[in-house]
Amino acid sequence: MVMHTLNATAGSEAFEDCLRLAKAGDSILLLGDGVYSAVAGGQSSVILAASPADVLVLEDDAAAAGIQLKISDFPLVDMDDFVSLSERYPRQLAWY
Amino acid sequence: MSNADKKSMLVLIRRAPYSSSLARASVDLALAAAAFEQQVDLLFQGDGVLQLLPNQQSELLGLKSIGKVLGSLPLYGIEQVYVDARSLSRYGLAGENFVVPVIPLEDEAMSELLARSDHLVSC
Amino acid sequence: MIYSLLVLSSPASGHGARTAQAFARAVLQRGHSIHRVFFLDEGTSTGSASAVFPQDETDRLQPWVDLAENHGVELVLCISSALKRGMLDEAEAQRYESPAATIHPAFIVSGLGQMIDASANSDRLITFGG
Repeated sequence: MVMHTLNATAGSEAFEDCLRLAKAGDSILLLGDGVYSAVAGGQSSVILAASPADVLVLEDDAAAAGIQLKISDFPLVDMDDFVSLSERYPRQLAWY
Repeated sequence: MSNADKKSMLVLIRRAPYSSSLARASVDLALAAAAFEQQVDLLFQGDGVLQLLPNQQSELLGLKSIGKVLGSLPLYGIEQVYVDARSLSRYGLAGENFVVPVIPLEDEAMSELLARSDHLVSC
Repeated sequence: MIYSLLVLSSPASGHGARTAQAFARAVLQRGHSIHRVFFLDEGTSTGSASAVFPQDETDRLQPWVDLAENHGVELVLCISSALKRGMLDEAEAQRYESPAATIHPAFIVSGLGQMIDASANSDRLITFGG
């Protein structure tokens, strides 16, 4: 079980490789530049939704980006949730 | 350092050798882990596979050769490293004689490798 | 749980450093402890006592200093990364005959062994980059 933290936009290799390796039982937390790919109706949100991993979005980064209200397919979480996730997942892999 | 809880580490290496300073830092990290007798595996992915190319004449850049440092991994007990098979293919390196023995992995095997290590570090 | 953090990005650029800081505070708030924060590569710029940031933005150094001074969190800068970025403590400034020490005293300069030690002695190792 891996918690992938994805701080990269949808065009990047980091995004592609994260999606390749994330499997069922993993989580993908979108943060930093990664939040943009969660915008509803976008091609990348479709790709994310198709991942066997659970996808979540860091709320403050989505709000900073001005897109918080455009995200409806994935849960928005706060820092406390981020820590809580890290408690459940023994290992984290940073993509950036 | 206490030996009580040895944790295994996987270092995921994604940068080309001489542009990002992180490339050299990640190699040093792997060597340090090996030198301190921690269980460490290396996975080279994307541009990271380029660090493994032989015959890097980095002295032309005035820099120490990353290939040479990686070639010394077996001296530290790291006999082989893993590489992303798709990255080898992208760069046309599938039969290349790298500086250290490599084990190419497909996606599923890479996912399994991630799940086997206690800690994952991506540089 | 015991956490260690690895910070790869500079406070001047990208999201990683800021996210790491907020995460560190949240970790402590949830009752965990932080064994060490290890700054590597661009992350070592975090320890600058000399960097000046815009006055109308959140202070980027003070939250780390607060973690060190009020919560006993050890902040370590990787020496080889630090040196090449002009980050020197008193001892290094003298050794290299450099004009000034540039590292804030809340930070320690050390080698990668400290990173390995952090990994070996922590339940969770969280990396922040980009």
